[in-house]
Amino acid sequence: MFHNSSHRKFWVFKSEDEVELLRYEANQKFCKKILESGKSGLSESMFLSRHEEDTLFRHYEKRLVDFCNAFKPAMPRSVVGTATMYFRRFYLNNSLMEYHPRIIMLTCAYLSCKVDEFNVSSSQFVGNLVQESPAGQERVLEQILEYELLLIQQLNFHLVVHNPYRPMEGLLIDLKTRLPTLENPEILRKSADDFLTQAAMTDVGLLFSPSQIALTAIMNSASRAGLNMESYLTECLGMKEDKETLSKMFDSMRRMKTLLKKYELPKSEEVNIYKQKLERIHAEFATSSSNKRKRGYEEDGHVAKEPRLVEEEWTDEDLI
Amino acid sequence: MNMEQYSILGRIGEGAHGIVFKAKHIETGETVALKKVALRRLEDGIPNQALREIKALQEIEDNQHVVKLKDVFPHGTGFVLVFDFMLSDLSEVIRNSQRPLTPAQVKGYMMMLLKGVAFLHHNNVMHRDLKPANLLISSSGHLKIADFGLARLLSEQSDRLYSHQVATRWYRAPELLYGARKYDEGVDLWAVGCIFGELLNSSPLFPGENDIEQLCCVLRVLGTPTQDSWPDIVELPDYNKITFKENPAIPLEEIVPDTSPQAIDLLYKFLVYPSKQRCSASQALLHPYFFTSPLPAHHSELPIPQRGGRPPRQRLQAPPTDFSVDLPLQDSVVDPALLQEHASCL
Repeated sequence: MFHNSSHRKFWVFKSEDEVELLRYEANQKFCKKILESGKSGLSESMFLSRHEEDTLFRHYEKRLVDFCNAFKPAMPRSVVGTATMYFRRFYLNNSLMEYHPRIIMLTCAYLSCKVDEFNVSSSQFVGNLVQESPAGQERVLEQILEYELLLIQQLNFHLVVHNPYRPMEGLLIDLKTRLPTLENPEILRKSADDFLTQAAMTDVGLLFSPSQIALTAIMNSASRAGLNMESYLTECLGMKEDKETLSKMFDSMRRMKTLLKKYELPKSEEVNIYKQKLERIHAEFATSSSNKRKRGYEEDGHVAKEPRLVEEEWTDEDLI
Repeated sequence: MNMEQYSILGRIGEGAHGIVFKAKHIETGETVALKKVALRRLEDGIPNQALREIKALQEIEDNQHVVKLKDVFPHGTGFVLVFDFMLSDLSEVIRNSQRPLTPAQVKGYMMMLLKGVAFLHHNNVMHRDLKPANLLISSSGHLKIADFGLARLLSEQSDRLYSHQVATRWYRAPELLYGARKYDEGVDLWAVGCIFGELLNSSPLFPGENDIEQLCCVLRVLGTPTQDSWPDIVELPDYNKITFKENPAIPLEEIVPDTSPQAIDLLYKFLVYPSKQRCSASQALLHPYFFTSPLPAHHSELPIPQRGGRPPRQRLQAPPTDFSVDLPLQDSVVDPALLQEHASCL
């Protein structure tokens, strides 16, 4: 149930500003850490600004969605939804400069498959990296498995994500049974589906409950079809007497639509420039985190794995 | 959150994916059980069972009869789950009781078990591996459901290891024995029935040595299933693979002798072939069995055996409570005014 879920308790934030502040802090934390490390020749301009980081985030998020949609066997929507939500949650408290999104996005997809019981073996999973040689796939898998624990920790071990797809089915059924004036609710599906697909690429899922998102998708679809469904809210959902809830709901709907409208795919020229910056940062600074992981192995009294091949050996151009 | 907060006191057992330690939380002095899940040499990474356990335990709220996941943190190559430390489990209670459990004690355990199962099912959690070894007993005598698809708490004695692993089969519902891929919470209710029978008899109800024999055990008691008694059987994967000699059902009164008619009636409600017909846990709690004399034993009247098979320690005195007969009554009752604001729901 959503009501007593970790999703509702820990991962629904009050406002757009709160979410942005978290990301800003993560960005600053990384910059501060490096600047304080006392390396010579450091300057703030080497780091990604929030805008640059956000552009890259959207770029990799799109890649994640594309990877999932091209996945064989076909990945259920909820698995894709959970994967993108993991990706968003991860980078709320972590900078892209700290952990490379290329591997985090695949780890999110991998974990999501397991959590949502979409059972594919690890070799089947990396087999979907069609551009990679078998040896390359093997290397990626090794990295995924290495980052899996970090991911699950950064998700605070909260694994269950409530997606808006089931609530939308529920609302469609409800419309069919309780709003007879609406002749064929199925005509709303296509555009509502598109709304949810777009919403998954925004912060909507970090700000609103899945049922509110689904309801907005339906209402939005209806208004595009020129249908007035306000009576559904007032009569069927019992908001007639409750003006406060009704106005809050309208406000939420407006905020969601604004978020969707604001979304734009990052421009490839921009992406390419920022990517080079990101690669440089990772080449220079990111080693510290992998050392930390390796220390973890030794602390446990186990022999550390063979030194891993450096990430730069495969680029994300090879990925999809 | 990390391991340095705890000092390890000893080893409790070992499971498929890790070791369970007894430990002390240094700051609070609380005794806990630490389940270490190591991830080395697992080609698929974090095992599904571990994910399922975390998933289930993170999403449900506290319940008196379900173990509480106090914390979870990464450690070395894996992670650690922190639970309340529990003294023992129901399999030890059954095995170590010097005399059979009294009807009131059996009733007490069944009530706690059903409350826990009802809670899980209400929260859409199917346990799928209910058995006495997974029903932990606290120092106050409370039963709590544990092991959501992860390590089994095994005894330190190595000769126990095997029988415990075999034990899971004894509680497996018939649809699973016929290879069902899809099933529902009925599998838990079947296991509840098996545990009930075991509490009544002090020995397992269907102790099959292998999967085929397991089915034989069940069929011998319930009678060979027919399309009338179990319409869905024809759709089960292994239905045509094995046929058994037809035999009629044996009345449960003969299988579980010297048992009250209400107990038999309730047992019949769990041990039926079609999963959907099994009595739900919340329904079962309303069964007359729980409302007829002897009433369910209070948890303070239940035995608390020690781990490692030592003879059970029957409690010499009742556990400390918040009231005493020697004190004036008004000292131990709560001022109704304090309750007032919370009592609106009543």
